[in-house]
Amino acid sequence: MNSATATIFRPPTLSILPPNSYNLTPPRIQYKPNQSNPRTISTRSLQISHRKHITPPHPPEHSTTTLTVAEKLQILDTEFKSLPEPIDRVKRLLHYASLLPEFDESGRVESDRVTGCTAQVWLEVTFDVEGSMRFRVDSDSEITKGFCYCLIWLLDGAAAGDVLEIRVDDLGEMNVGILPIRASSRVNTWHNVLISMQRRTKALIMEAYGDPSLPLLP
Amino acid sequence: MMTMEGVVLKLPSFTQLMNPNHFTNRTSLNFRFTFPKYSSSSTASLSVPAAAPVSLGHSTRPDFEILHQKVNNGSKLVYLDNAATSQKPSAVIDAVNNYYRSYNSNVHRGIHFLSARATDEYEMARRKVAAFINASESSEIVFTRNATEAINLVAYSWGMSNLKPKDEIVLTIAEHHSAIVPWQLLSEKTGAVLKFVSLTEDEVPDTKMLQELVSKKTKLVVVHHVSNMLASVLPINEIVQWAHDVGAKVLVDACQSVPHMVVDVQNLGVDFLVASSHKMCGPTGVGFLYGKSELLAAMPPFLGGGEMISDVFLDHSTYADPPSRFEAGTPAIGEAIGLGAAIDYLSEIGMQKIHDYEVDLANYLYESLGTVPGVRIYGPAPSATVHRAALCSFNVEGLHPTDIATFLDQQHGVAIRSGHHCAQPLHRYLGINASARASLYFYNTKEDVDDFVRGLVDTVDFFNSFK
Ligand SMILES: Cc1ncc(COP(=O)(O)O)c(C=O)c1O
Repeated sequence: MNSATATIFRPPTLSILPPNSYNLTPPRIQYKPNQSNPRTISTRSLQISHRKHITPPHPPEHSTTTLTVAEKLQILDTEFKSLPEPIDRVKRLLHYASLLPEFDESGRVESDRVTGCTAQVWLEVTFDVEGSMRFRVDSDSEITKGFCYCLIWLLDGAAAGDVLEIRVDDLGEMNVGILPIRASSRVNTWHNVLISMQRRTKALIMEAYGDPSLPLLP
Repeated sequence: MMTMEGVVLKLPSFTQLMNPNHFTNRTSLNFRFTFPKYSSSSTASLSVPAAAPVSLGHSTRPDFEILHQKVNNGSKLVYLDNAATSQKPSAVIDAVNNYYRSYNSNVHRGIHFLSARATDEYEMARRKVAAFINASESSEIVFTRNATEAINLVAYSWGMSNLKPKDEIVLTIAEHHSAIVPWQLLSEKTGAVLKFVSLTEDEVPDTKMLQELVSKKTKLVVVHHVSNMLASVLPINEIVQWAHDVGAKVLVDACQSVPHMVVDVQNLGVDFLVASSHKMCGPTGVGFLYGKSELLAAMPPFLGGGEMISDVFLDHSTYADPPSRFEAGTPAIGEAIGLGAAIDYLSEIGMQKIHDYEVDLANYLYESLGTVPGVRIYGPAPSATVHRAALCSFNVEGLHPTDIATFLDQQHGVAIRSGHHCAQPLHRYLGINASARASLYFYNTKEDVDDFVRGLVDTVDFFNSFK
């Protein structure tokens, strides 16, 4: 991502905290053609949906399609900066957690586990016919779920190239400590989630195109 | 206790969510008020300030400057992650500082003044460790980077030359990963088989099962002394007896016992014992292996390099005697000397005194934590015969331990651990993925426990208010 783009975009309504206003429960695109075999829908699945992204029931102020990943990143950064008190960050994260649709127990499959986290995280990665990446995440930790909501808001529906360009550092503000966390740490579950999103994105693209650089070109 | 702590009245921002008794009454006279909610322990009553003896926690806290600080938004630090690593008293910091300022030099390699002094102090540290655990000779102490390396040393050196396919190693499922993984690697290489002892209903490793598992096929028994998650203590004497009866050796992971109680390797009769300096007031980067001389003498080197050889030819080398044989390369000299200083510090207090104080703290912690609604503490319940270590691993119904630990840290300045504490098999056995753990040391006080429990109640209320 071009960091210049990220800093230029300053919508006047930033203080309204867009992620908060989004309803993240659009009717999910069904990637499970064969329900009798849920294992095949794991990250390796290449069933490409032919349905388009569906507008959420309550359209957000800015439609998702008009915001680039860079712009969303900026919004997230500003949002976290506006909450200097950890307690407020925790509250916001718990709110987001409540917006994140839970997996049903059968969705929490071992093959979707993001390993190396202090909390358990399950991540489902697929991509649709437009080449947009689709992510679903669930966790047994509420704070982690809150972070995951932010990641989903940021990257669900994004182009693979945009997903791969995000750096942990771009989300430096996303923490509940007063110290900005500079180094990637095992303790920061969402770092692992982001890295998993990217690794699985790459794997899917590799599988589909045999060459990771192909669909990543602008 | 520093007055700074005595006067702090923290007003949490969630007053309305908290139990009404959230004011800390602290004075430097150890004058305690007990709140009805936490007063399940009969030991805490109103004492006459002038006569109140100063607890070990209060009297040693001034030695630990790090404890007297505010973290996250001005909360007083309450450090309860001692099973992960302990704090270091100024005596230890000074010893390391002094080494680097006045006599930093390589050991065993130079005849000059500084090297002689460094060698002297380094070897003195070894003698201190030997005396501390009552080894018969200081050459039975091998300095390693930590307990993990000490276990790996035994696995590679002793294990590779003594184990053959179908030989058995008996361990408990409550071992730290450091005491499991090296044996898994060894078993892949040698074909030796690992046998695991599970827990009894009281959530302690089942010693009866252990006794039954030990057979003629057993070559090694690997057990912890004190569990870093269950807070239980294993009867090492008996285990050693059972193992030796069939000719098996015993390696004891004493990471959580050596810092907290008298450990006497001769009395216990163990063949190998390991511990880490950083959990016993010493610096990181150094730990030790105790091995009976005749065992060490028969063991091949673990790592090759300088320090561990006697003569090097181009096609072969002859090895130095233990302990040098196992200390390839320049050791952690300043750290070993720091460990020596830590041992001096602990010995001056007295390990029995530390232990007695911690038993009292352990009971207080267990009882106080038990009053929190929805809490589940792992490991045995304390009784007249069951003494728990001063730590509690726990979960609170409906809350993730990491969320608890995050909030306790951010909002209350209480440092606890969350996760699997490097004991995943044990967590799996208990049917959980993670737990929270509060672990104390002799510089902790009952007020620390009160602060923790009060913070936890607030944490639980906070999260529940979002449900
Ligand atoms: C029981 C036990 N064994 C082994 C270890 C490993 O110690 P270290 O990481 O210092 O090698 C620990 C420390 O967490 C422990 O608690």
